[in-house]
Amino acid sequence: MATQRRTRGDISVTAASHIVLVIWSFIVIVPFAWALVASTKTTREIFGDPWSLPADPQWQNFESAWDNNVGEYLLNSVIVVSGGVVLTMLLGSMVAYVLARYPFPGNRFIFYLFASGMMFPVFLALVPLFFVVKSFGMLSTYHGLILVYTAYSLPFTVFFMHAFFRTLPTSVAEAAVIDGASHTNVFFRVMLPMAKPGLLSIAIFNILGQWNQFVLPQFLSPDKPLLTQAVASLLSNQRYRADWGTVFAFLAIAMIPVIVAYLAFYRQVQSGLTSGTLK
Amino acid sequence: MQYGKYRFIVGFLVAPLVLYAVFVISPFIQTVYYSFTNWTGVSPEFEYVGLANFELLWKDDLFREAFFNNIVLLVGLPVFTVLLALLFAFLLNVGGTGAGVRGIAGNGFYKVAFFLPQVLAVPVIAVIWAVIFSPESEGLANSFLGWLGLGPYDWLASPDMALYCVLWVLVWGSVGFYLVLFNAAMSSVPRDIFEAAFIDGASRLSTFVRVTMPLLWDTIQTSWVYLAILALDAYALVFVMTIGPGGPDNSTQVMALRIAQEGFQNGKAGYASAMGVVLFFLTLIIAAVLLRVTRRERIEY
Amino acid sequence: MNAPRPYPRRVFLRRAGLSALAVSGGTSFLASCASGGSDSDDDVSGGGEEQTSENPFGVDAADPLHVVIFNGGYGDQYAKFHEGIYQEKFADAQIEHEAITDIRQQMQPLFNAGNPPDVLDNAGAEQMPISTLADTGQLTDLTDLWDADAIGFEGMTVRDTLHPIAIESAEYAEKPLVMNYALQVYGIWYDRALFDEQGWEPAETWPDFMNLCETIKSAGIAPMAHQGKYPYYIQQVLMDMAVKHGGHEVVFAIDSLEPDAWQHDSIRAAAEALLEIKNGGYMLEGTEGLDHIQSQTRWNEGKAAFIPSGSWLENEQASVAPAGFQTTAAPTPLLDGATLPFDCTRVEAAEAFIVPAQAANQVGGLEYLRIMLSMEGAREFTELTSAPTVVNGAADGVDASPGLASSLALIESGGDDNWNYYYTIWYSPLRPKIETVVGELAAGRISADEFCDRCQEAADETAEDPTTQQRTRP
Repeated sequence: MATQRRTRGDISVTAASHIVLVIWSFIVIVPFAWALVASTKTTREIFGDPWSLPADPQWQNFESAWDNNVGEYLLNSVIVVSGGVVLTMLLGSMVAYVLARYPFPGNRFIFYLFASGMMFPVFLALVPLFFVVKSFGMLSTYHGLILVYTAYSLPFTVFFMHAFFRTLPTSVAEAAVIDGASHTNVFFRVMLPMAKPGLLSIAIFNILGQWNQFVLPQFLSPDKPLLTQAVASLLSNQRYRADWGTVFAFLAIAMIPVIVAYLAFYRQVQSGLTSGTLK
Repeated sequence: MQYGKYRFIVGFLVAPLVLYAVFVISPFIQTVYYSFTNWTGVSPEFEYVGLANFELLWKDDLFREAFFNNIVLLVGLPVFTVLLALLFAFLLNVGGTGAGVRGIAGNGFYKVAFFLPQVLAVPVIAVIWAVIFSPESEGLANSFLGWLGLGPYDWLASPDMALYCVLWVLVWGSVGFYLVLFNAAMSSVPRDIFEAAFIDGASRLSTFVRVTMPLLWDTIQTSWVYLAILALDAYALVFVMTIGPGGPDNSTQVMALRIAQEGFQNGKAGYASAMGVVLFFLTLIIAAVLLRVTRRERIEY
Repeated sequence: MNAPRPYPRRVFLRRAGLSALAVSGGTSFLASCASGGSDSDDDVSGGGEEQTSENPFGVDAADPLHVVIFNGGYGDQYAKFHEGIYQEKFADAQIEHEAITDIRQQMQPLFNAGNPPDVLDNAGAEQMPISTLADTGQLTDLTDLWDADAIGFEGMTVRDTLHPIAIESAEYAEKPLVMNYALQVYGIWYDRALFDEQGWEPAETWPDFMNLCETIKSAGIAPMAHQGKYPYYIQQVLMDMAVKHGGHEVVFAIDSLEPDAWQHDSIRAAAEALLEIKNGGYMLEGTEGLDHIQSQTRWNEGKAAFIPSGSWLENEQASVAPAGFQTTAAPTPLLDGATLPFDCTRVEAAEAFIVPAQAANQVGGLEYLRIMLSMEGAREFTELTSAPTVVNGAADGVDASPGLASSLALIESGGDDNWNYYYTIWYSPLRPKIETVVGELAAGRISADEFCDRCQEAADETAEDPTTQQRTRP
């Protein structure tokens, strides 16, 4: 392995790179930190003195959030999103795999059918969707939400996983088939593991997307609220009652599972790669 | 094994397709149906009006303004997001100096930090940035400008600037995810390729342009399309963050907001459905064009 | 990959079956959707009991009651009190109480499905479009309620006990369909304590007002702030000055969508006045980008002297205002040549309560409203929210905070001169268009003439729109 020559140009580029990265870190962390600090402030401080630390940390904001059922909403969100993401990744990869590796009449049509689903503004479908869900008796239920979340996450998942599966080398699959593996076995034992980094990236995105979704549950699950839905509701509530401290406490609590999920997945994405997978 | 294959295909497709048809396609078809009626959204009674909604839409000046605003987002969002995400991915994976090819120092920290915006929900991001962009001189953005010696600015309160503030926040909120995506893509590229380039004396910049981008092209392409769709569908951010919303003076009006306003506030659900149908086909066409235009030979290695 | 094989027949049939299922499923979903037409029903539902003086609508004591309250500035405590009274009267009734803020999201499906609540407090940013509901026959006629005996008032009908604005604002096509419960008094609000300390008084004439602004400014305080994100608030100042200048006919013309209504001299004069405030540097710096909580918070902190708002202000800022802050209402100053007196203002009847026409227990809903309008019910509302109701005299003797006291004083002093407008409810698409232009004016980016022209353009568009249901005033 040859060593790199360290040139003048190199050093200044490195310096510039660091500067750029530090600036962006700042741009990213400051707003985030502001939201966290705000959860310990009073309403007056949040908007009166937005950039100073609180005079007196208002930990009771968190108590207030707890009293306002943040724990229950958190649980609801965790259940629905866990179920939703697992189901989405399973069904999504199944569809993407079949479409990517098995030509048959109607293959392109089905692909475009799923892909075009991304282009449809969800909130337009809300009222008809409400009636569909209602006719199955699935309003305000975990399974109802999981199914709907999955259905709406399929387009994105299929679209991206399709690209991943197309790039996996055929040799390994063919070897497995020769060894007598069924198509299903090939999928679960060989292809899925190979697509792990792709799966994990898309899974993260689905976790985020489903966790932050509030429009769907607002209409479909008024009696069993999810966390982000409650946050959005509280935010719209703020037009009438100024209790921003509690809102930000809610937020702080809402952030935690996502950060945890990211840190857990992230290591997986970075490690455990063998042959060229993504590309 | 052949019949097994078709059984396999069908077996794998049935459940997802049914789910999709019931919860996504069926409501969409109903929306198309409503676009031909004068449904108010609050009453079970309405009448068929043929293409009247679409005719009205053609003449709707406000919708046209919204459309052009969306075009601004459509151009800006993918460009800036992809560029920044690629740049950071490159620096973090390959930009380091010293023996071999590695990321720049401290990249573990950066990789976690840059993800933070993704953790926040859109309404929250909107509130935070609305405060940062406060037109008061003590607002954070203005304090920063003041430190540079420039005067306080109106930001979201300025009809000329507000849309670009929205664009900026969209970019800010998107870079994190695409960084993760490009990161994963890049880390699967064998190091040897980069090393070969460095040995040959390539500078970082040309390595970036000649080596990284082509290898990641598929991912870049799909990211671009997805960001374009986001630009066309932007709603929640505009709704919470802008004056009005949609202002000042309709400068941040976007098509999705028009749909929500007409359908939900003005009792014109049929008209809003027509807008939705138009938006859908617009998105479809733009996505198709983008995919075609960015098509390239896939590089095998 | 494997070469494609001709499609095996049984697989094909299976797939065809699948798509047939999808299509038929889709059709049945279409059927289950909102397209069922319902027969419009003139008979009220529920009840059927004998109509007595205690129970004028013949409510059936066993019928359940579904009440949905907008959980905003007024909260929902008052509703629980009213429900308590209803429960005492009808011990067997099951009352379902809901207090929410996203009214439209939750109620729209119910309306479409034909089973809305019995009582709905339709308020807030996510409210149902009330004029659409009125026009599509979705609201119960309240005439019987108006004619019934008022509870707690000897020998008077409900109608007799109500402030005229409640009667007026209830009407759509000459039928009372909406019961607006709270009175909202608009004005420019200040801290009495601050003014006393500085020796200031709200000004009556325009020149005096300008002088006052100058004085305030030199004390290091911005004379006025406003809720830039929502031009609705500063618009009230403009409209108020215009109406006091030209009389009620100014808004009658606007509400009736008359041509040139917005070109009226009084409107133009008021626009000029607003520009004078802005160009004189009397507006709080940065106020154009602030929302209501932010700007009102600045005002509470003493960074601005006046802020336009309504009688909910005190309650809304309750947790923010420092101790000793005395929220007080002042009327807007009189422009040169004003025809109405100083101490009148815009008084609106808000917090719209409706009994949907498709509700299961309409008579129960009517009785509940009657209870709300009783002496006891109305007083309790005022005590809990510091806001006046439309029931005359119900607020007498309530320990009034400065905000409530000054609101009540203005209602009293203004009398018949107090005014209101309806175009924002009657023609909902027009409202955001006008507010956009007001925003530009308040920021000083357009002239008074441009303001009038653009507003008139928007009004004309609305008048020409075939879907607009045009109404006239008086």
